[in-house]
Amino acid sequence: MSQSLKPYLTAVRSSLTAAICLEDFSSQIVERHNRPEIEVDNTHTPELILNPMIIARNENEKILIEPSINSVRVSIKIKQADEIEQILVHKFTRFLTSRAENFFILRRVPIKGYDISFLITNFHTEQMLKDKLVDFIIEFMEDVDKEISEMKLFLNARARVIAEAYLTPFD
Amino acid sequence: MLQIEQTNLLIQTTLTDKIFPEKDAKGYKSIDRIISDFDFTTYHISTLGEEKHLLLISIYLKCWDDLESYGVVKYLQDKYVQFEEALTILPSGDVENNYNYSFVLDLAKLEGQSDEYKQSVIDSLALLKRNCMAAPLEKAFARYDELAQQYANSNTYAEEIQAELQSEKVLVINYRGIDESIYIKPSFDRVTVIFSTIFQDETDKIFGKVFLQEFVDARKRSVQTAPQVLYSHKEPPLDIAHVVKSNNNTDADNKGYITFVLFPRHLVRGDKRENCITHIQVFRNYFHYHIKCSKAYMHSRMRFRVKEFLKILNRAKPENIDNDGSRIENRKTASGRRFAQ
Repeated sequence: MSQSLKPYLTAVRSSLTAAICLEDFSSQIVERHNRPEIEVDNTHTPELILNPMIIARNENEKILIEPSINSVRVSIKIKQADEIEQILVHKFTRFLTSRAENFFILRRVPIKGYDISFLITNFHTEQMLKDKLVDFIIEFMEDVDKEISEMKLFLNARARVIAEAYLTPFD
Repeated sequence: MLQIEQTNLLIQTTLTDKIFPEKDAKGYKSIDRIISDFDFTTYHISTLGEEKHLLLISIYLKCWDDLESYGVVKYLQDKYVQFEEALTILPSGDVENNYNYSFVLDLAKLEGQSDEYKQSVIDSLALLKRNCMAAPLEKAFARYDELAQQYANSNTYAEEIQAELQSEKVLVINYRGIDESIYIKPSFDRVTVIFSTIFQDETDKIFGKVFLQEFVDARKRSVQTAPQVLYSHKEPPLDIAHVVKSNNNTDADNKGYITFVLFPRHLVRGDKRENCITHIQVFRNYFHYHIKCSKAYMHSRMRFRVKEFLKILNRAKPENIDNDGSRIENRKTASGRRFAQ
């Protein structure tokens, strides 16, 4: 693990653990409604939203945590150094979001400016262990970078092999 | 499967079935097959009415008109005349409707021939598309021979000679319609073959760039004797700028030009030249095939990774909840007894 990755992930881990402190909370505006307050337009009940925070490793890699009384929205911006990584990240996140129903906490549409968003509600924390949820997000952040760079390496390696295979028989 | 075969496997098997029938087969059976190949090529193999020993073999190529102007008819004639006992080339008036070129293969006459002869008929018919596309390349290479001789003893750096070479005619084959073409330009010391290609989507374009970069670099790195490869995006190379139609369609953004510079060492008469012709033709198909392959691989890789992520997420659930989130009932102890409800 590189020098700057470890403190970044540690910061994310402790912030997430602090943020995922949720309770069941019914809507104060609409009767018999119970919805993730972070997703609702909260101009009438700003007291339900906590301060959002951004943890950034550099301008290309950051995470936005938006807590509220009964839900937390976590948005991740994945490193994209060049065109190839951009396309790979795009494909990969699309692949994930189209399977969002299996992922429970995955949000179908990422927040603007980020590549992928998770929405954790109090119902999730009631069913699943909080520590393991945090583990999942941390592991996700680690693996995604690894996967993207591996795919990129593979693409280059393959291109090299086929270029040589094509050009060799000319002689 | 790294390389794409130039022989058409379906033609090969169809003809093999016909020419080497099983021992107990009686007489000739009728057949009517349409076979397709790369670049919108179609073949039609059928028996002629009641005369079941006569096989009509026709080919359709999208770029036939271009090929015809570069002498494909004569080239095919030369190629297939060696089999004239059994294989009749139909004059252009008798060619099957909707096809460009037809042969009639007489199975009865072929029967008396040796097995090697039969096999070579099959092999060369399976290469029909390759042979059609070879005509313009052959023509360009012949022109290179002429030029090489003509300028053998002159100062090729002289301006007038350079100008003459510059104005050398470019052979154009619009083998996949107007957007994707092959341009061939002979010179006295090389033959330049330029492919224009269209990338269907953004991913193809970027993958294509990576691949082409490797084609360009491969020569510097390991295969020093290979033809030189150059790549340009959107802008056609100067050699062909005057023949490329300035079409203002939106696809221009996705267009790429790949230049192969074939040097005299690749153009040595005989096997080497034939091999070079065969090989350069498949470039576009080979290139796009591998782009698709890597996309497919990426896809399966992502599928695997997503599965792994799901496993990690499922660890977050306490054990007595299954994957759908419902409580697991009926849990048993090791001895098979149930828990009290």
